[in-house]
Amino acid sequence: MSMKGVFLGVFLCLVLLTFVAWRLRPAPAPPGKIPLTWVSDDNPARREQIALFNRLHPDYLLRLDPGNTGMEKVIVQSLAGVGPDLFDCYDGYQLSAYVRSGIAWDVTDALKKAGIDVTRDVWPAVFPNILHEGRVYGFPTNVAVNAIWFNKDIFDAAGIPYPTGTMTWQQFLPLAQKLTVRDKNGRAKRFGLLADWWNWKQFVLQWGGRMFTPDGTKCIIDSPEAIAGVQFFHDLIYRYRVMPSPVEEAAMATTGGWGSGAIHFFGGGKGAMALGGRWWLCTLRNVEGLRLGAFACPFGPKKVYRGYGRATLINAKSSRREAAVKFLLYEAGKPYNDLINHQADALAPVKKYCYTEEYLHDPAFPDEDFNAVWRDVMNYGLPDEVSPFVNGNRATRILNKQLDLVKNDQKSASAALHTAARQINEAIRDMLKQDPTLRMQYAKLTGRSGP
Amino acid sequence: MSWKTRRLRGHEGAAAMAFLLPNFLGFLVFTIGPVFFSLVASFSNWNLQRTIPFQWIGLENYAKLFHDPDFWLYFVNTGYLMLGLPVAIGGSLVLALLLNRDLRGIVAYRTLFYLPTFTSGVALLILWKALYNPDFGPVNVVINWFLDSLGVNRLVAILTGRELSAPQWLLSTRNLLGIGVEQVRIVAKQWGLGARDAIIIMGIWVAIGGNNMLLYLAGLSNIPQELLEAAQIDGAGRWATFRHVTWPQLAPTTFFIVVMSFIGGLQGGFEQARVMTGGGPAGTTTTLTYYIYTKAFEEFDIGYSCSIAWVLFIIIFVVTLINWKFGSRELNY
Amino acid sequence: MTKQMTRQSGFGRWWRRRGRFVFSHGVLAFLALTMLAPFLWMVLASFKPLVEVEELNPFPSKWQPVNYLQVFREIPFARYYFNSLFVAGWVTFLQCLTSAMAAYAFARLRWKWRDHVFRLYLATLMIPGVVTMIPNYTLMVKLHLLDSYQGLIIPAAFTAFGTFLLRQFMLTIPRSLDEAAQMDGATHWQVFWDVILPLTRPGLITLAIFTFMGNYRSFFWPLVMIKSQHLRTLPVGMLYFDSIYGRQTNLLMAATVMNIVPLIILFVVTQKFLIKGIQLGAVKG
Repeated sequence: MSMKGVFLGVFLCLVLLTFVAWRLRPAPAPPGKIPLTWVSDDNPARREQIALFNRLHPDYLLRLDPGNTGMEKVIVQSLAGVGPDLFDCYDGYQLSAYVRSGIAWDVTDALKKAGIDVTRDVWPAVFPNILHEGRVYGFPTNVAVNAIWFNKDIFDAAGIPYPTGTMTWQQFLPLAQKLTVRDKNGRAKRFGLLADWWNWKQFVLQWGGRMFTPDGTKCIIDSPEAIAGVQFFHDLIYRYRVMPSPVEEAAMATTGGWGSGAIHFFGGGKGAMALGGRWWLCTLRNVEGLRLGAFACPFGPKKVYRGYGRATLINAKSSRREAAVKFLLYEAGKPYNDLINHQADALAPVKKYCYTEEYLHDPAFPDEDFNAVWRDVMNYGLPDEVSPFVNGNRATRILNKQLDLVKNDQKSASAALHTAARQINEAIRDMLKQDPTLRMQYAKLTGRSGP
Repeated sequence: MSWKTRRLRGHEGAAAMAFLLPNFLGFLVFTIGPVFFSLVASFSNWNLQRTIPFQWIGLENYAKLFHDPDFWLYFVNTGYLMLGLPVAIGGSLVLALLLNRDLRGIVAYRTLFYLPTFTSGVALLILWKALYNPDFGPVNVVINWFLDSLGVNRLVAILTGRELSAPQWLLSTRNLLGIGVEQVRIVAKQWGLGARDAIIIMGIWVAIGGNNMLLYLAGLSNIPQELLEAAQIDGAGRWATFRHVTWPQLAPTTFFIVVMSFIGGLQGGFEQARVMTGGGPAGTTTTLTYYIYTKAFEEFDIGYSCSIAWVLFIIIFVVTLINWKFGSRELNY
Repeated sequence: MTKQMTRQSGFGRWWRRRGRFVFSHGVLAFLALTMLAPFLWMVLASFKPLVEVEELNPFPSKWQPVNYLQVFREIPFARYYFNSLFVAGWVTFLQCLTSAMAAYAFARLRWKWRDHVFRLYLATLMIPGVVTMIPNYTLMVKLHLLDSYQGLIIPAAFTAFGTFLLRQFMLTIPRSLDEAAQMDGATHWQVFWDVILPLTRPGLITLAIFTFMGNYRSFFWPLVMIKSQHLRTLPVGMLYFDSIYGRQTNLLMAATVMNIVPLIILFVVTQKFLIKGIQLGAVKG
């Protein structure tokens, strides 16, 4: 065959395929329905939440888009005009990035008109996710705080009574040590406590440390209190040896299931206790024969806990942003809040729906007698501190690197946090240099031009 | 030359334009244009966050870059990960020499060696992550067997009083040069095998039978048979033939491979960092490309990330010029 | 070599031949095994139940061919497959066509700025992809091609590399052939299609394979360009099995096995041409 023929043939085939591709494009939303897209994770709980919304609002068609999560994707796509209608916001840094990029839509008036006062109704631990400079940008999807899960079978076998009430970390230590089992070579067969490393923030809080000064103008993560908190968390691994080191973690990890977090190890019986949120139930309910208990997380010098959560924001560039408010109202209503509590996708965002009989004793899960614990701890939940003067991703990158070194026992908590504070303050200086608005704000707060 | 061809020559300028145009337009729009665009952007503070007003800031980004300790660390990381290139290229050459003959099953061999290139991607990286698991990964299982069962450790213990243990691979910040974690300097404690070495070994394994081997096979098949026969008639041995005939004849191929590998190496490491290590532990596997991505898409500082990209480009350009000067004196492109 | 050997004794000749044979095969087989072992592990893992994936024993206790079906159930695998082939197909076609034409202009036609423009082409081989990535992305946004097939196909369809590869190949074709055709009154268009291209076939096949494989595997560009589920290509789509909600390594491995089978077939069929088609340049004679 001549080359012309080959090229022509291939060309015709491709044209044919193009036609096929064109025919295969997905059908648009059925007429009369308002389509909405929500970028969120593909947690199985999400599907039920969406189904309930679509059932309650037959004139809407809400769809999940789990393939475009991540703040950078949402911002870049929204700026390019192909963003979602609704998306998630995990902390105050993200909210400020969304607002500053012009992506988050101000819903203060829309919510007020519907009679919703977020500062009165929702848990304070998620305020940073929705409040920015006095304006409201969304509604929380759920809130969480960590407490101690324990495996009742392991306690029974060891003949130890189930812990109740609150205790300090010092009172907690002997218990964890008793429940850690190592063979004669020192290799752990089971740990007293499992905790994901990002919980270091809670230890900083409990030892009285802070990330920033109250006005956010300076990073003070190198204070003696913060150092002592991180040091204690580090010591749980290397001094008291009740928690796995990264190497021991890798030895337990598998590529199957939920991956390598504390939640997975706990579900697999590798730990007697674990520091985690109520949302762990989403996974742990699927572990057959696991008998669970929970008690409030031990405290340090201060009795506070790190609260966290998620919120849904509306894309300001979306043509359907007015319609999307419907979803925020749905998140404020009873059906949604009850569903969240029932699914154990952490805690319902609206406080009053956690003070119900169904919450305490879900008839579908009669064994779960620990729901009061989460609600009580939630009252002490403090959100992560955020400074408007630093890029959150950069601060996170700096902290992750230094805390990585502490976790691997390569650097002392003191040295690592000093470095982190210095670098974050440098980042603040950098940001002030670039951004005149922030510069003015900073000068007004401090009378100085840099930290 | 007849009058007819001369007439055609007169039209060659116009014909050439017609033939070149489709490709050249695309080249202009998607290569040349963006290159200059990113150069221009690197002189600005272009940021996706609206509160930062757009400004031309001249060379400020470049000045900042020279004082950015992260940049230098990631630069060193990138360079370190390229240490495997000579091994990979040499290995490709050896493989090509072994495969450049009529052996039975040659197609099977070539396909097998090319397998890693097919698969490169998420699955391959996850597979290697499992292989490197310090506790039960096959790599350390073999190393531990070697150390314990073969008695190597007993020997080492007698000689040095200390025992060797298998590396922690992807969890470790150690490296063969002992480069520190936070500053670019040699730290004795950091000496050993770690995440970066793990990525290098994997890279060699992937590259050795890949495109470079194909390029070498092509180069070998293009060596005129007369030259090899002439060398044999002169009584040259196999090594002498390789040294004086094959190697010089492969010079254009080697040059091309070296330049392309260098370019690939300098902009590599993105997928590994994303899938295997997240850039860690403690940033030791973050490469410049990953840093550019972070700066642009996570911190939205487009101007700065463009300036990093341009520094990368300048480095590649200079190194290629040096290569060209020393490596291509006899080449004819 | 052969001449020397015929002079040696029968046994020596047998041993030398035999020894070389054993040595070559020994080395190659060992290397091939190190290449193959991880793949065997992968193929076997694709038949395992999830919990066994990381066990040292490479063989599944219970073979689960249903994993392969499960891949199709959990993600629109066929659609991703189609997209990958479709995008790579278009890119390959456009790239071969435009590169061959440009290569013809560089290798066969004489015009004023030819060598300068070619040097420019060569120089751009050095440009790291990250330099052009952000501007290209911005361009795609401005052209409203984000999240579309065109956005995947068009920017990848014109490269300096293809032009370079084919130009080098065309230079090896004797000039007398096309001069003879021109003598007979053929136009450049006819010479290009009927004389040069048929002789460039190995080069074209090589370029086609490289381009096809490169785009079929491409990860980063589709990752940032594509938003919609129905436009996703395989490398991006398979990330589903590695998400934090349910890491299903056995299914990921099954998907990967299915992903690379067409590539292996393509390679086996074309590997002969592949090597013939590369002409990087010659040593100055």
